[in-house]
Amino acid sequence: MTPERSDDLTPAEREILARAAAAAPPPPEPRWGEYRAQLRARLDAHRSAGARLHRWWARPAPIALSFGLATAVLLFVLQPVDRRPDLAGLDDAVLGAQLPLLEHYRVVERLDLLEDFDVIRQLDRLSSREG
Amino acid sequence: MTDDREATSDETLCRRIAARDDAAFDLLVARYQGRAYRLAWSLLRNAEDARDASQEAFIRVWEAAERFRGDARFSTWFYRILVNVCLDHKRRGRWWARLVTRDAHRDADESLVERHPAPEPDPGDQVSEAQRMTRLWDAVHRLSAQQRAAVILYAQEHLTTAQIAEILRVAEPTVRVHLHRAVAALRKELAP
Repeated sequence: MTPERSDDLTPAEREILARAAAAAPPPPEPRWGEYRAQLRARLDAHRSAGARLHRWWARPAPIALSFGLATAVLLFVLQPVDRRPDLAGLDDAVLGAQLPLLEHYRVVERLDLLEDFDVIRQLDRLSSREG
Repeated sequence: MTDDREATSDETLCRRIAARDDAAFDLLVARYQGRAYRLAWSLLRNAEDARDASQEAFIRVWEAAERFRGDARFSTWFYRILVNVCLDHKRRGRWWARLVTRDAHRDADESLVERHPAPEPDPGDQVSEAQRMTRLWDAVHRLSAQQRAAVILYAQEHLTTAQIAEILRVAEPTVRVHLHRAVAALRKELAP
């Protein structure tokens, strides 16, 4: 422990920490040659995985596919919420297609009236059946 | 002579690694492997995990060497990578592995009795001192991950609180708080 270290620990506290460090048993020593060989193998695997990824990215088809997909997702995400296709919009479109019927509103109204007349005409029969 | 030292300084080696110099990487590994493994072992308390984590830290150095700006010492930067790998390793858990190896740890801890002979000639005192050391070492491992890292970096690696703060990416007063709390916890273990 270096005495010039600027901290606000008292000598007694430093002593406790020093004892804690001294309490650490020595780690089981690895075989360093084996350790470095294993590290080298891991690094080589890592580099070849990186190279494989690089080669994959270097192909035009995956790039085009990935960019196409990413663009589609991006466009969908960036589209204003009110412009996204939804069921309410579809409903509006169907109703809009029926708007020309309003031109024949009077005819429809009369048909409704005739239907009512028909009901009124048959009221006697209905009441006698119930009575 | 100074040029030679400069040519093989950690920082220079790191720059050479950034330029994909295998020899520089091997030199840096040989220089740091012992310290890296020992620190990882102190944090993880498992030889296999320590080997895995320290190797992972070297691989990250290879990956990130070009991002080493050189405004901090290489050792500080490397310790930061290593401590992060160890804390991530710990967080990831492998709790089932720990359950299986718990007995092995216990055996290893019990063997501390032989590893820490007390200077006293009395065998009774020797055993009690060794047991106290075992309790102390166990107490270090019951500390929070950050406190444990601070204690090990301070007492084992002899780093300053400023360096520890840089490694743990916390403010220096936070390191001091970690150390004070750790001391309070360890003091209980040393109480007769």
